[in-house]
Amino acid sequence: MTLAPAHVAGAGMIRFGKYPVDVTLESMGVDAGRAALADAGATLTTVDALYVGHVFGGPVAGQRIAAQLGLDGKPVSNHENYCASGATAVREAWVALAAGLHDVVLVIGVEKMTDRISGGVRPDPNDLDAAVGYVMAAGHAMSARRYMADHGATREQIAAVAVKNHAHSVHNPFAQYQKPISLDQVLSARPIAEPLGLLDCSPISDGAAAVVLCSPAGLRRLGIDAAVPKVLGAALVSGSVLTGTGDLNAEDVSRRAGEQAWELSGVGPDDVDLVEMHDCFTIAEIVRMEGLGLVPVGQGAAWTADGHTALGGRLPVNPSGGLLSRGHPVGATGVAQVCELTWQLRGTAGGRQVDGARIGLAYCKGGTVNGTDGGSVTTVVMAS
Amino acid sequence: MSAATRVPLPEASSGSRRPFRPGLLQLEPPRLLGSRCSACGTATFPARAFCPHCRATTGIDGVALTPDGHVHSFTVVRQAPAGVDVPYVLAQIDLGDGVRVLAQVVGAEPERIALGAPVSLELAPVADAAGQPDGQLVGYRFRVDQEMTT
Repeated sequence: MTLAPAHVAGAGMIRFGKYPVDVTLESMGVDAGRAALADAGATLTTVDALYVGHVFGGPVAGQRIAAQLGLDGKPVSNHENYCASGATAVREAWVALAAGLHDVVLVIGVEKMTDRISGGVRPDPNDLDAAVGYVMAAGHAMSARRYMADHGATREQIAAVAVKNHAHSVHNPFAQYQKPISLDQVLSARPIAEPLGLLDCSPISDGAAAVVLCSPAGLRRLGIDAAVPKVLGAALVSGSVLTGTGDLNAEDVSRRAGEQAWELSGVGPDDVDLVEMHDCFTIAEIVRMEGLGLVPVGQGAAWTADGHTALGGRLPVNPSGGLLSRGHPVGATGVAQVCELTWQLRGTAGGRQVDGARIGLAYCKGGTVNGTDGGSVTTVVMAS
Repeated sequence: MSAATRVPLPEASSGSRRPFRPGLLQLEPPRLLGSRCSACGTATFPARAFCPHCRATTGIDGVALTPDGHVHSFTVVRQAPAGVDVPYVLAQIDLGDGVRVLAQVVGAEPERIALGAPVSLELAPVADAAGQPDGQLVGYRFRVDQEMTT
Protein backbone atom coordinates (compact mmCIF):
# COMPACT_ATOMS: atom_id res chain seq x y z
CA MET A 1 0.00 0.00 0.00
CA THR A 2 1.04 3.61 -0.33
CA LEU A 3 0.29 6.64 1.82
CA ALA A 4 0.27 10.29 0.81
CA PRO A 5 3.78 11.76 0.67
CA ALA A 6 5.13 14.17 3.28
CA HIS A 7 6.45 17.37 1.76
CA VAL A 8 9.77 18.63 3.13
CA ALA A 9 9.22 22.35 3.62
CA GLY A 10 12.46 22.96 5.48
CA ALA A 11 15.69 21.32 6.54
CA GLY A 12 18.41 22.41 8.93
CA MET A 13 21.19 21.01 11.06
CA ILE A 14 24.20 21.98 13.07
CA ARG A 15 27.67 20.80 12.19
CA PHE A 16 28.31 17.40 13.73
CA GLY A 17 31.36 17.05 15.94
CA LYS A 18 32.61 17.16 19.51
CA TYR A 19 31.08 20.03 21.43
CA PRO A 20 31.91 21.32 24.94
CA VAL A 21 29.87 20.15 27.89
CA ASP A 22 27.91 23.40 27.99
CA VAL A 23 26.55 22.76 24.49
CA THR A 24 23.66 20.63 25.66
CA LEU A 25 21.41 18.14 23.96
CA GLU A 26 18.59 20.63 24.37
CA SER A 27 20.50 23.56 22.86
CA MET A 28 21.61 21.50 19.86
CA GLY A 29 18.05 20.34 19.25
CA VAL A 30 16.78 23.90 19.50
CA ASP A 31 19.41 25.18 17.05
CA ALA A 32 18.61 22.53 14.46
CA GLY A 33 14.87 23.02 14.95
CA ARG A 34 15.14 26.77 14.47
CA ALA A 35 17.23 26.26 11.33
CA ALA A 36 14.61 23.97 9.81
CA LEU A 37 11.75 26.29 10.75
CA ALA A 38 13.59 29.27 9.24
CA ASP A 39 14.32 27.30 6.08
CA ALA A 40 10.59 26.54 5.78
CA GLY A 41 9.51 30.07 6.62
CA ALA A 42 7.48 28.58 9.46
CA THR A 43 6.67 30.34 12.71
CA LEU A 44 6.14 28.57 16.01
CA THR A 45 2.38 28.96 15.81
CA THR A 46 2.20 27.15 12.47
CA VAL A 47 3.63 23.90 13.89
CA ASP A 48 1.17 21.22 15.00
CA ALA A 49 3.48 18.69 16.65
CA LEU A 50 7.10 17.77 17.42
CA TYR A 51 8.71 14.35 16.83
CA VAL A 52 12.12 13.79 18.42
CA GLY A 53 14.53 10.91 17.84
CA HIS A 54 17.30 10.24 20.38
CA VAL A 55 18.86 7.34 22.28
CA PHE A 56 20.83 8.72 25.21
CA GLY A 57 18.84 11.91 25.85
CA GLY A 58 16.92 10.57 28.84
CA PRO A 59 13.20 10.74 29.59
CA VAL A 60 11.17 13.42 27.79
CA ALA A 61 14.17 14.97 26.06
CA GLY A 62 11.80 16.09 23.31
CA GLN A 63 9.66 17.98 25.79
CA ARG A 64 12.78 19.63 27.25
CA ILE A 65 13.68 20.78 23.75
CA ALA A 66 10.09 21.92 23.08
CA ALA A 67 10.09 24.04 26.23
CA GLN A 68 13.22 25.87 25.05
CA LEU A 69 12.17 26.08 21.43
CA GLY A 70 8.68 27.44 22.08
CA LEU A 71 6.70 24.37 21.07
CA ASP A 72 5.61 23.60 24.63
CA GLY A 73 2.05 22.41 24.94
CA LYS A 74 2.06 20.70 21.53
CA PRO A 75 1.97 16.94 21.03
CA VAL A 76 5.60 15.86 21.55
CA SER A 77 6.79 12.28 21.20
CA ASN A 78 10.17 10.66 21.76
CA HIS A 79 11.37 7.87 19.45
CA GLU A 80 14.10 5.35 20.27
CA ASN A 81 15.27 2.74 17.76
CA TYR A 82 18.98 3.14 18.49
CA CYS A 83 20.79 4.45 15.39
CA ALA A 84 17.50 4.46 13.45
CA SER A 85 15.78 6.69 16.03
CA GLY A 86 15.77 9.84 13.91
CA ALA A 87 14.49 8.01 10.87
CA THR A 88 11.82 6.35 12.99
CA ALA A 89 10.66 9.81 14.11
CA VAL A 90 10.46 10.81 10.42
CA ARG A 91 8.38 7.72 9.71
CA GLU A 92 5.92 8.39 12.53
CA ALA A 93 5.58 12.03 11.43
CA TRP A 94 4.89 10.91 7.85
CA VAL A 95 2.21 8.50 9.08
CA ALA A 96 0.53 11.21 11.16
CA LEU A 97 0.47 13.61 8.21
CA ALA A 98 -0.92 10.93 5.90
CA ALA A 99 -3.57 10.08 8.48
CA GLY A 100 -4.69 13.71 8.54
CA LEU A 101 -3.84 14.14 12.21
CA HIS A 102 -1.42 17.03 11.58
CA ASP A 103 -0.49 19.33 8.69
CA VAL A 104 2.83 20.86 9.78
CA VAL A 105 5.23 18.94 12.00
CA LEU A 106 8.81 19.45 13.10
CA VAL A 107 11.09 16.40 13.35
CA ILE A 108 14.34 16.69 15.29
CA GLY A 109 17.06 14.06 15.62
CA VAL A 110 19.57 14.84 18.33
CA GLU A 111 22.33 13.21 20.36
CA LYS A 112 24.96 14.30 22.86
CA MET A 113 27.48 11.47 23.04
CA THR A 114 30.97 12.78 23.70
CA ASP A 115 30.28 13.49 27.37
CA ARG A 116 28.85 10.03 28.11
CA ILE A 117 30.12 7.43 25.62
CA SER A 118 33.71 6.23 25.27
CA GLY A 119 35.31 3.20 23.66
CA GLY A 120 32.35 2.50 21.39
CA VAL A 121 28.74 1.48 21.80
CA ARG A 122 27.39 -1.93 22.73
CA PRO A 123 24.02 -3.61 23.19
CA ASP A 124 21.85 -3.20 26.27
CA PRO A 125 23.33 -5.11 29.22
CA ASN A 126 20.28 -7.40 29.29
CA ASP A 127 21.11 -8.67 25.81
CA LEU A 128 23.07 -11.92 25.78
CA ASP A 129 25.52 -10.56 23.19
CA ALA A 130 26.64 -7.89 25.65
CA ALA A 131 27.31 -10.57 28.25
CA VAL A 132 29.81 -12.34 26.00
CA GLY A 133 31.71 -9.19 25.06
CA TYR A 134 29.99 -8.01 21.89
CA VAL A 135 30.68 -4.46 20.77
CA MET A 136 29.33 -3.03 17.53
CA ALA A 137 32.76 -2.92 15.90
CA ALA A 138 33.22 -6.65 16.57
CA GLY A 139 30.10 -7.62 14.69
CA HIS A 140 31.17 -5.66 11.62
CA ALA A 141 34.71 -7.01 11.87
CA MET A 142 33.39 -10.58 11.72
CA SER A 143 31.23 -9.51 8.78
CA ALA A 144 34.28 -8.09 6.99
CA ARG A 145 36.45 -11.16 7.57
CA ARG A 146 33.75 -13.46 6.25
CA TYR A 147 33.01 -11.15 3.29
CA MET A 148 36.65 -11.20 2.23
CA ALA A 149 36.81 -15.00 2.50
CA ASP A 150 33.53 -15.60 0.67
CA HIS A 151 33.90 -13.06 -2.15
CA GLY A 152 37.64 -12.65 -2.60
CA ALA A 153 37.38 -9.00 -1.62
CA THR A 154 40.49 -7.25 -0.31
CA ARG A 155 41.11 -5.22 2.81
CA GLU A 156 41.99 -2.31 0.53
CA GLN A 157 38.63 -2.47 -1.26
CA ILE A 158 36.78 -2.30 2.05
CA ALA A 159 38.96 0.59 3.24
CA ALA A 160 38.07 2.44 0.03
CA VAL A 161 34.64 3.17 1.55
CA ALA A 162 36.28 5.46 4.13
CA VAL A 163 38.49 7.17 1.55
CA LYS A 164 35.45 7.85 -0.67
CA ASN A 165 33.20 9.16 2.07
CA HIS A 166 35.87 11.44 3.53
CA ALA A 167 36.51 12.81 0.03
CA HIS A 168 32.81 13.61 -0.29
CA SER A 169 32.52 15.50 2.99
CA VAL A 170 35.26 17.92 2.01
CA HIS A 171 32.29 19.69 0.40
CA ASN A 172 29.89 19.34 3.37
CA PRO A 173 30.01 22.27 5.82
CA PHE A 174 27.96 20.23 8.34
CA ALA A 175 30.41 17.30 8.44
CA GLN A 176 32.54 16.52 11.48
CA TYR A 177 35.51 15.81 9.19
CA GLN A 178 36.13 17.90 6.09
CA LYS A 179 39.57 16.71 5.02
CA PRO A 180 40.43 13.90 2.59
CA ILE A 181 42.20 10.80 3.91
CA SER A 182 44.42 8.35 2.07
CA LEU A 183 44.04 4.61 1.68
CA ASP A 184 47.29 4.14 3.57
CA GLN A 185 45.91 6.14 6.50
CA VAL A 186 42.91 3.81 6.73
CA LEU A 187 45.06 0.67 6.47
CA SER A 188 47.62 1.81 9.04
CA ALA A 189 45.16 3.21 11.59
CA ARG A 190 45.07 1.76 15.09
CA PRO A 191 43.24 -1.61 15.08
CA ILE A 192 39.84 -1.56 16.80
CA ALA A 193 38.41 -4.99 15.95
CA GLU A 194 40.51 -6.80 13.39
CA PRO A 195 40.47 -6.47 10.47
CA LEU A 196 38.84 -3.06 11.07
CA GLY A 197 40.81 -0.07 12.29
CA LEU A 198 39.93 3.34 13.66
CA LEU A 199 39.14 4.88 10.26
CA ASP A 200 36.78 2.02 9.39
CA CYS A 201 34.60 3.18 12.29
CA SER A 202 32.23 6.13 12.48
CA PRO A 203 33.14 8.54 15.28
CA ILE A 204 31.34 9.24 18.54
CA SER A 205 29.70 12.58 17.86
CA ASP A 206 27.38 15.32 19.05
CA GLY A 207 24.84 16.92 16.76
CA ALA A 208 21.29 17.62 15.71
CA ALA A 209 19.28 17.81 12.50
CA ALA A 210 15.68 18.78 11.77
CA VAL A 211 13.10 18.87 9.02
CA VAL A 212 9.66 20.46 8.65
CA LEU A 213 7.25 17.97 7.08
CA CYS A 214 3.89 19.07 5.68
CA SER A 215 0.68 17.85 4.13
CA PRO A 216 -0.57 19.81 1.09
CA ALA A 217 -2.70 21.86 3.50
CA GLY A 218 0.43 22.47 5.58
CA LEU A 219 2.30 23.80 2.55
CA ARG A 220 -0.57 26.23 1.95
CA ARG A 221 -0.45 27.28 5.60
CA LEU A 222 3.24 28.11 5.16
CA GLY A 223 2.58 29.96 1.88
CA ILE A 224 4.67 27.53 -0.15
CA ASP A 225 3.47 27.32 -3.75
CA ALA A 226 6.44 25.70 -5.49
CA ALA A 227 7.07 21.96 -5.48
CA VAL A 228 9.41 20.81 -2.71
CA PRO A 229 11.13 17.45 -2.14
CA LYS A 230 8.87 14.88 -0.59
CA VAL A 231 9.07 11.71 1.47
CA LEU A 232 7.30 9.08 -0.62
CA GLY A 233 7.54 6.41 2.04
CA ALA A 234 9.46 5.42 5.15
CA ALA A 235 9.81 1.69 5.84
CA LEU A 236 10.59 0.05 9.16
CA VAL A 237 11.55 -3.56 9.81
CA SER A 238 13.23 -5.34 12.68
CA GLY A 239 15.78 -8.12 12.75
CA SER A 240 14.42 -11.65 12.72
CA VAL A 241 15.69 -14.62 14.71
CA LEU A 242 18.24 -16.45 12.60
CA THR A 243 18.33 -20.21 12.31
CA GLY A 244 20.95 -22.47 10.84
CA THR A 245 24.47 -21.59 9.77
CA GLY A 246 23.95 -19.64 6.56
CA ASP A 247 25.69 -16.62 5.08
CA LEU A 248 26.76 -14.21 7.83
CA ASN A 249 26.27 -11.38 5.32
CA ALA A 250 22.91 -12.53 3.98
CA GLU A 251 21.45 -9.13 4.98
CA ASP A 252 17.91 -10.45 4.90
CA VAL A 253 16.90 -7.55 7.15
CA SER A 254 18.15 -5.10 4.49
CA ARG A 255 16.39 -7.04 1.76
CA ARG A 256 13.12 -6.79 3.66
CA ALA A 257 13.62 -3.08 4.35
CA GLY A 258 14.23 -2.51 0.66
CA GLU A 259 11.20 -4.46 -0.46
CA GLN A 260 9.00 -2.53 1.96
CA ALA A 261 10.49 0.76 0.72
CA TRP A 262 9.67 -0.03 -2.90
CA GLU A 263 6.14 -1.09 -1.92
CA LEU A 264 5.48 2.03 0.17
CA SER A 265 7.01 4.50 -2.27
CA GLY A 266 5.99 3.07 -5.62
CA VAL A 267 9.53 3.42 -6.99
CA GLY A 268 11.92 0.60 -7.77
CA PRO A 269 15.62 0.04 -7.14
CA ASP A 270 16.49 1.05 -10.71
CA ASP A 271 14.95 4.50 -10.09
CA VAL A 272 17.35 5.46 -7.27
CA ASP A 273 19.85 8.21 -8.17
CA LEU A 274 21.71 8.40 -4.85
CA VAL A 275 21.81 6.72 -1.44
CA GLU A 276 22.52 7.99 2.05
CA MET A 277 23.68 4.70 3.59
CA HIS A 278 24.27 3.85 7.24
CA ASP A 279 28.05 3.35 7.00
CA CYS A 280 28.64 3.03 10.73
CA PHE A 281 31.57 0.87 9.60
CA THR A 282 33.13 0.61 6.12
CA ILE A 283 31.99 -2.97 5.53
CA ALA A 284 28.43 -2.08 6.54
CA GLU A 285 27.99 0.22 3.54
CA ILE A 286 29.03 -2.62 1.23
CA VAL A 287 26.86 -5.43 2.57
CA ARG A 288 23.80 -3.23 3.13
CA MET A 289 23.87 -1.90 -0.43
CA GLU A 290 23.99 -5.52 -1.56
CA GLY A 291 21.17 -6.48 0.79
CA LEU A 292 18.96 -3.74 -0.63
CA GLY A 293 19.59 -5.12 -4.09
CA LEU A 294 21.26 -1.91 -5.29
CA VAL A 295 24.65 -3.57 -5.82
CA PRO A 296 25.19 -7.20 -6.95
CA VAL A 297 25.99 -9.55 -4.06
CA GLY A 298 29.73 -9.94 -3.59
CA GLN A 299 30.63 -6.97 -5.80
CA GLY A 300 30.16 -4.08 -3.38
CA ALA A 301 33.79 -3.87 -2.35
CA ALA A 302 35.00 -3.90 -5.95
CA TRP A 303 32.34 -1.36 -6.91
CA THR A 304 33.63 0.96 -4.21
CA ALA A 305 37.29 0.59 -5.19
CA ASP A 306 36.35 1.17 -8.83
CA GLY A 307 34.53 4.41 -8.02
CA HIS A 308 31.03 3.29 -8.94
CA THR A 309 29.64 4.53 -5.60
CA ALA A 310 31.57 7.83 -5.62
CA LEU A 311 30.27 11.20 -6.77
CA GLY A 312 30.17 10.96 -10.55
CA GLY A 313 29.88 7.17 -10.42
CA ARG A 314 26.95 5.07 -11.53
CA LEU A 315 25.25 5.17 -8.09
CA PRO A 316 26.71 7.74 -5.66
CA VAL A 317 26.55 6.58 -2.02
CA ASN A 318 26.93 9.03 0.86
CA PRO A 319 27.66 12.30 -0.94
CA SER A 320 27.34 13.87 2.54
CA GLY A 321 30.33 11.89 3.79
CA GLY A 322 28.09 9.40 5.54
CA LEU A 323 28.43 8.43 9.17
CA LEU A 324 32.15 7.82 8.74
CA SER A 325 32.87 11.45 7.93
CA ARG A 326 29.77 13.57 8.61
CA GLY A 327 29.82 12.03 12.10
CA HIS A 328 27.33 9.80 13.89
CA PRO A 329 25.36 11.33 16.75
CA VAL A 330 23.16 8.26 16.70
CA GLY A 331 19.68 9.74 17.15
CA ALA A 332 20.43 12.59 14.75
CA THR A 333 21.75 10.53 11.85
CA GLY A 334 18.44 9.53 10.24
CA VAL A 335 17.21 13.12 10.15
CA ALA A 336 20.57 14.35 8.83
CA GLN A 337 20.19 11.87 5.98
CA VAL A 338 16.78 13.37 5.14
CA CYS A 339 18.33 16.87 5.25
CA GLU A 340 21.02 15.73 2.81
CA LEU A 341 18.50 14.15 0.44
CA THR A 342 16.41 17.34 0.61
CA TRP A 343 19.36 19.49 -0.43
CA GLN A 344 20.39 17.00 -3.12
CA LEU A 345 16.85 16.88 -4.55
CA ARG A 346 16.63 20.68 -4.48
CA GLY A 347 19.92 20.78 -6.37
CA THR A 348 21.55 22.95 -3.71
CA ALA A 349 24.21 20.57 -2.38
CA GLY A 350 27.10 22.56 -3.86
CA GLY A 351 30.36 20.71 -4.42
CA ARG A 352 28.83 17.39 -3.40
CA GLN A 353 25.76 17.69 -5.64
CA VAL A 354 24.71 14.52 -7.47
CA ASP A 355 23.88 15.68 -10.99
CA GLY A 356 20.26 15.22 -11.91
CA ALA A 357 19.23 13.75 -8.56
CA ARG A 358 15.50 12.99 -8.62
CA ILE A 359 15.07 9.93 -6.35
CA GLY A 360 17.05 9.28 -3.18
CA LEU A 361 17.04 6.57 -0.55
CA ALA A 362 18.23 6.86 3.06
CA TYR A 363 18.98 3.73 5.10
CA CYS A 364 19.52 3.46 8.86
CA LYS A 365 20.20 0.42 10.98
CA GLY A 366 19.80 0.69 14.71
CA GLY A 367 21.07 -1.68 17.36
CA THR A 368 21.55 -5.41 17.64
CA VAL A 369 19.56 -8.15 19.36
CA ASN A 370 21.13 -11.50 20.22
CA GLY A 371 20.34 -14.21 17.71
CA THR A 372 18.82 -11.87 15.12
CA ASP A 373 20.11 -10.02 12.08
CA GLY A 374 19.65 -6.62 13.69
CA GLY A 375 17.57 -4.28 15.81
CA SER A 376 15.73 -1.88 13.53
CA VAL A 377 16.19 -0.88 9.90
CA THR A 378 14.57 2.11 8.22
CA THR A 379 14.49 3.06 4.56
CA VAL A 380 13.22 6.50 3.55
CA VAL A 381 12.52 7.11 -0.14
CA MET A 382 12.38 10.72 -1.32
CA ALA A 383 11.65 12.37 -4.67
CA SER A 384 12.25 15.88 -6.02
CA MET B 1 11.83 -21.37 31.56
CA SER B 2 8.10 -20.87 31.39
CA ALA B 3 6.34 -17.96 33.05
CA ALA B 4 4.77 -20.31 35.58
CA THR B 5 8.14 -21.39 36.91
CA ARG B 6 9.58 -17.90 37.36
CA VAL B 7 10.30 -16.74 40.88
CA PRO B 8 10.22 -13.07 41.85
CA LEU B 9 13.71 -13.02 43.35
CA PRO B 10 16.77 -15.20 42.90
CA GLU B 11 17.16 -17.85 45.53
CA ALA B 12 19.64 -17.09 48.24
CA SER B 13 23.14 -18.01 47.20
CA SER B 14 23.76 -21.65 47.89
CA GLY B 15 27.48 -21.18 47.75
CA SER B 16 27.66 -23.41 44.70
CA ARG B 17 28.51 -22.64 41.14
CA ARG B 18 25.56 -21.82 38.92
CA PRO B 19 24.94 -20.54 35.36
CA PHE B 20 25.10 -16.75 35.14
CA ARG B 21 21.68 -16.81 33.53
CA PRO B 22 19.14 -19.50 34.40
CA GLY B 23 18.49 -22.01 31.64
CA LEU B 24 21.42 -20.91 29.50
CA LEU B 25 23.80 -23.78 30.18
CA GLN B 26 24.36 -26.86 32.29
CA LEU B 27 27.57 -27.43 34.21
CA GLU B 28 27.96 -31.23 34.27
CA PRO B 29 28.82 -32.02 31.62
CA PRO B 30 29.25 -28.53 30.16
CA ARG B 31 26.58 -27.96 27.53
CA LEU B 32 24.73 -24.98 26.11
CA LEU B 33 20.97 -25.42 26.48
CA GLY B 34 18.89 -24.64 23.43
CA SER B 35 15.49 -25.64 22.17
CA ARG B 36 14.33 -27.77 19.27
CA CYS B 37 11.03 -27.70 17.44
CA SER B 38 9.49 -31.17 17.30
CA ALA B 39 7.52 -30.17 14.20
CA CYS B 40 10.28 -28.90 11.92
CA GLY B 41 13.45 -29.85 13.80
CA THR B 42 14.88 -26.34 13.95
CA ALA B 43 17.25 -25.85 16.89
CA THR B 44 18.04 -22.48 18.48
CA PHE B 45 20.27 -21.03 21.16
CA PRO B 46 19.34 -19.66 23.60
CA ALA B 47 16.13 -21.62 24.10
CA ARG B 48 12.99 -19.84 22.91
CA ALA B 49 9.34 -20.52 23.64
CA PHE B 50 8.54 -20.50 19.92
CA CYS B 51 10.09 -21.90 16.78
CA PRO B 52 11.68 -19.06 14.78
CA HIS B 53 11.36 -21.14 11.61
CA CYS B 54 7.78 -22.47 11.62
CA ARG B 55 6.43 -20.28 14.47
CA ALA B 56 5.10 -23.24 16.44
CA THR B 57 4.48 -22.48 20.11
CA THR B 58 3.90 -26.04 21.24
CA GLY B 59 6.17 -29.03 20.98
CA ILE B 60 9.27 -26.97 21.73
CA ASP B 61 11.71 -29.19 23.63
CA GLY B 62 14.79 -28.29 25.59
CA VAL B 63 18.01 -29.71 24.17
CA ALA B 64 21.62 -29.88 25.31
CA LEU B 65 23.67 -28.78 22.30
CA THR B 66 26.83 -30.47 21.11
CA PRO B 67 29.92 -28.89 22.68
CA ASP B 68 31.93 -29.11 19.46
CA GLY B 69 31.96 -26.67 16.59
CA HIS B 70 34.13 -24.56 14.32
CA VAL B 71 34.91 -20.89 13.83
CA HIS B 72 32.70 -19.35 11.14
CA SER B 73 34.18 -15.88 11.61
CA PHE B 74 36.10 -14.06 14.31
CA THR B 75 37.67 -10.79 15.34
CA VAL B 76 40.26 -9.61 17.83
CA VAL B 77 38.65 -6.88 19.89
CA ARG B 78 41.31 -4.25 20.62
CA GLN B 79 39.08 -1.47 21.95
CA ALA B 80 36.05 -1.81 24.20
CA PRO B 81 34.07 0.38 26.60
CA ALA B 82 35.64 1.25 29.94
CA GLY B 83 36.06 -1.65 32.34
CA VAL B 84 36.44 -4.32 29.65
CA ASP B 85 39.91 -5.85 29.32
CA VAL B 86 41.27 -6.15 25.77
CA PRO B 87 42.34 -7.83 23.61
CA TYR B 88 40.03 -10.81 23.35
CA VAL B 89 38.84 -13.00 20.51
CA LEU B 90 35.13 -12.96 19.70
CA ALA B 91 33.76 -15.45 17.20
CA GLN B 92 30.71 -16.86 15.52
CA ILE B 93 30.84 -20.58 16.31
CA ASP B 94 28.89 -23.08 14.21
CA LEU B 95 27.95 -26.07 16.36
CA GLY B 96 27.40 -29.51 14.95
CA ASP B 97 23.68 -29.12 15.65
CA GLY B 98 23.42 -26.43 12.98
CA VAL B 99 23.26 -23.66 15.56
CA ARG B 100 25.43 -20.53 15.41
CA VAL B 101 26.62 -19.11 18.74
CA LEU B 102 28.47 -15.88 19.53
CA ALA B 103 31.22 -16.47 22.10
CA GLN B 104 34.76 -15.68 23.07
CA VAL B 105 37.53 -18.05 22.01
CA VAL B 106 40.66 -18.84 24.01
CA GLY B 107 43.55 -21.25 23.75
CA ALA B 108 45.55 -19.78 20.88
CA GLU B 109 47.23 -16.56 19.93
CA PRO B 110 44.86 -14.53 17.74
CA GLU B 111 47.10 -14.95 14.71
CA ARG B 112 46.86 -18.73 15.06
CA ILE B 113 43.07 -18.72 14.83
CA ALA B 114 41.64 -19.25 11.38
CA LEU B 115 38.26 -19.62 9.74
CA GLY B 116 37.12 -23.19 10.18
CA ALA B 117 39.23 -23.83 13.27
CA PRO B 118 37.70 -26.59 15.45
CA VAL B 119 36.70 -25.48 18.94
CA SER B 120 35.13 -27.00 22.03
CA LEU B 121 32.90 -25.56 24.71
CA GLU B 122 34.29 -24.86 28.16
CA LEU B 123 33.00 -23.16 31.28
CA ALA B 124 34.34 -19.76 32.32
CA PRO B 125 33.91 -17.57 35.38
CA VAL B 126 31.59 -14.58 34.95
CA ALA B 127 31.75 -11.29 36.80
CA ASP B 128 28.90 -10.58 39.20
CA ALA B 129 26.92 -7.34 39.33
CA ALA B 130 29.84 -5.67 41.09
CA GLY B 131 32.09 -6.54 38.18
CA GLN B 132 34.16 -9.15 40.00
CA PRO B 133 34.25 -12.89 39.38
CA ASP B 134 32.82 -14.42 42.55
CA GLY B 135 33.65 -17.99 41.66
CA GLN B 136 29.97 -18.93 41.59
CA LEU B 137 28.55 -17.44 38.41
CA VAL B 138 29.53 -19.56 35.43
CA GLY B 139 29.44 -18.66 31.76
CA TYR B 140 30.84 -20.21 28.63
CA ARG B 141 33.49 -19.77 25.99
CA PHE B 142 35.19 -21.96 23.41
CA ARG B 143 38.74 -23.27 23.34
CA VAL B 144 40.66 -23.94 20.16
CA ASP B 145 41.21 -27.67 19.86
CA GLN B 146 44.73 -28.78 20.69
CA GLU B 147 45.74 -29.98 17.26
CA MET B 148 45.35 -26.44 15.96
CA THR B 149 47.97 -25.06 18.30
CA THR B 150 50.67 -27.66 17.83
